[in-house]
Amino acid sequence: MSSENKDFGKNKAFLIDMTKCTGCRGCQVACKQWNQLGAEKTEFFTGEGYQNPPLMSEYTFTRIKFRDYEKNGQNEFAFYKEMCMHCNEPACASVCPVGAFKKTKEGPVTYDADRCIGCRFCMVACPFGVPKYEWSKALPLVRKCTGCYSRVKEGLKPACATTCVSAITYGNREDMIKEANKRISARPEKYLKKLYGSEEAGGTSVIYLTALPFDELGFKPVTKRPLPSYTWQALRLVPGIFLTVGSSLSLLSWFNHRKERIAKEEEQRKSGATPKEES
Amino acid sequence: MTAAKIIVNEIKGYHRFVKFLIVLVSLGALASLARFVFGLGVTTNLNDTFPWGLWISFDVVTAVPLAAGAFTLGAIVHCFHIKKLEPLVRPAIVTGFLGYSLVCVGLLLDLGQPQRCWHTMVYWNPHSPMFEVSMCIAAYTTVLFLEFLSPVCEKFGYHVPLRLLRTIEMPLVVAAASISTLHQSSLGTFFLIAVDKLHSLWYNPLLPLLFWLSAMCAGISIIIVEATMSHKYMGQPDESELLETLAKILPWVITVYLTVKVFSLVALTEGPLFNRPGLLVLFAVEVVCGVLLPLVMLMNGNVRENNRLRATAAWLVIAGVILNRFNVSMFGMEAPGTFYYPSLLESVVTIGIIAAHILFFVLIAKYFPIFEHHPETVDYSIPDHFRKNEQGNAHGAAKA
Repeated sequence: MSSENKDFGKNKAFLIDMTKCTGCRGCQVACKQWNQLGAEKTEFFTGEGYQNPPLMSEYTFTRIKFRDYEKNGQNEFAFYKEMCMHCNEPACASVCPVGAFKKTKEGPVTYDADRCIGCRFCMVACPFGVPKYEWSKALPLVRKCTGCYSRVKEGLKPACATTCVSAITYGNREDMIKEANKRISARPEKYLKKLYGSEEAGGTSVIYLTALPFDELGFKPVTKRPLPSYTWQALRLVPGIFLTVGSSLSLLSWFNHRKERIAKEEEQRKSGATPKEES
Repeated sequence: MTAAKIIVNEIKGYHRFVKFLIVLVSLGALASLARFVFGLGVTTNLNDTFPWGLWISFDVVTAVPLAAGAFTLGAIVHCFHIKKLEPLVRPAIVTGFLGYSLVCVGLLLDLGQPQRCWHTMVYWNPHSPMFEVSMCIAAYTTVLFLEFLSPVCEKFGYHVPLRLLRTIEMPLVVAAASISTLHQSSLGTFFLIAVDKLHSLWYNPLLPLLFWLSAMCAGISIIIVEATMSHKYMGQPDESELLETLAKILPWVITVYLTVKVFSLVALTEGPLFNRPGLLVLFAVEVVCGVLLPLVMLMNGNVRENNRLRATAAWLVIAGVILNRFNVSMFGMEAPGTFYYPSLLESVVTIGIIAAHILFFVLIAKYFPIFEHHPETVDYSIPDHFRKNEQGNAHGAAKA
């Protein structure tokens, strides 16, 4: 986590070029198939636009967000594939009291349902709002995209990346960033000259290329500092504070009690009685 | 008469208010049963946008500082050696013990998998503030339980455990203060991870320190309110003289709290402060009514000497801390345009928990010697089975 200085370049990462996305939502279907996720009863235009389902949920780990806009007097669509960002230093993994989340050496951030106690701290902590909860159940667990870790560790690509015909490239993180920059410099008129995910939350394993500004597509503005460092700067002081408070209070009370004992003994001596220990 | 009949008769003799509390607690218990039958999604207004609601904001984040009286007073009396305040310690410990036990209840209801709560003890993650807090709460509830055993043993006349408890009293007090320092502040650390979520009026790196300081303010105020009320309504001894001393200490703590709060707001805050009028109002109410007003009141000697005004000032501090915790854990976390309000069932459970606290406090005060405790009058020595003193000298008996 935060204290280890790891090189994330060899982690597997998604490069998602939103300008090449056609909005076919094959990734949504592939994701549901591989993860055996149930269907959701949805209606059109219950969310912000054409996207369906309207939100990510316990049944939907990824979805394509639609944004319509006008370009040269024509209606155009822009897309944003929402999914777990698989942060280099994940907030969910750092706040989970039982360590149910793990950043694997391959790159995906996995979730261990057998450990989870269902406290939902991960949902509060995640800057991208990714972990979702099984609100329908009496004893719910958290659900989220696992980056298809079961496939990745066997050398396969994630389900969505396998299905996608155009927009998703999957490979080493450093290569993906190189490729993204190459595309920007090859077609500067087409792309926004920024990558989303190269620095967000300290860097993620999902890198986005877009034509439109990020906030217009629904990307969340996120700090560049790894999130675990925000809490760790306070938590690292815990042992020190414990020892300081404990020892100074012990000293203080020892001193005060000694003062009292001496005063008492003095008094007894004055009153003429010889103090004698009783046991 | 059978045992059941005795209990029924005993309950029949209770005051109407106590019976009312029993009804509220039973309703709360029923409502929490409904949570397990129908699930969190149906019974609460929680969803993926608002993963934490009333149960975390009040039952945990607010209830913990409200139960801070025990450790604060313990440290004041035993470590700083202001011995005359000792009669207030026991009620504070009972409040603390009840408070923490009910925090555990609230937490278990809110957890998705309460049967796995022991996982925190097994799968350690020292990077998690939640891990730290749950370890501390477990440890501190144990400490409070041990401290609470004293009146229980006195009631039943168990002298040997009493002697033992007396021996570990000081270590317990020191442990209580250090453990409380950790988890009171770590509750603030919870929200340090919410970097772009918690509004900058409250988000700053000193949040843990502010939580710890305001917890002490709340703890002292709770003792003042509790002693005033138990004198007024329960006919317990009048401790106004001692409360005056406490009311002298309180403004100092509030001043430190206010100083750190202003410093962190001015020097350490990064985002915009004035972009959300609603939150600004909440912040202003919190600081003006919950910090500045009671501070000014308590600096005035007449207020400190007047039972009613002193209690009013303490109530204001408590209200300020409650509002602060709600601001941090609920209002300040809500994105613009979204709003969470607790469902009926969530409210019934929380009301039940508050009622349970008052109910158990009243009952414990009724059956156990928590107010009558004046240490100089209590004989802690083991009954002299070994006739050591009689054989030895006359002084030994006098000293015991």
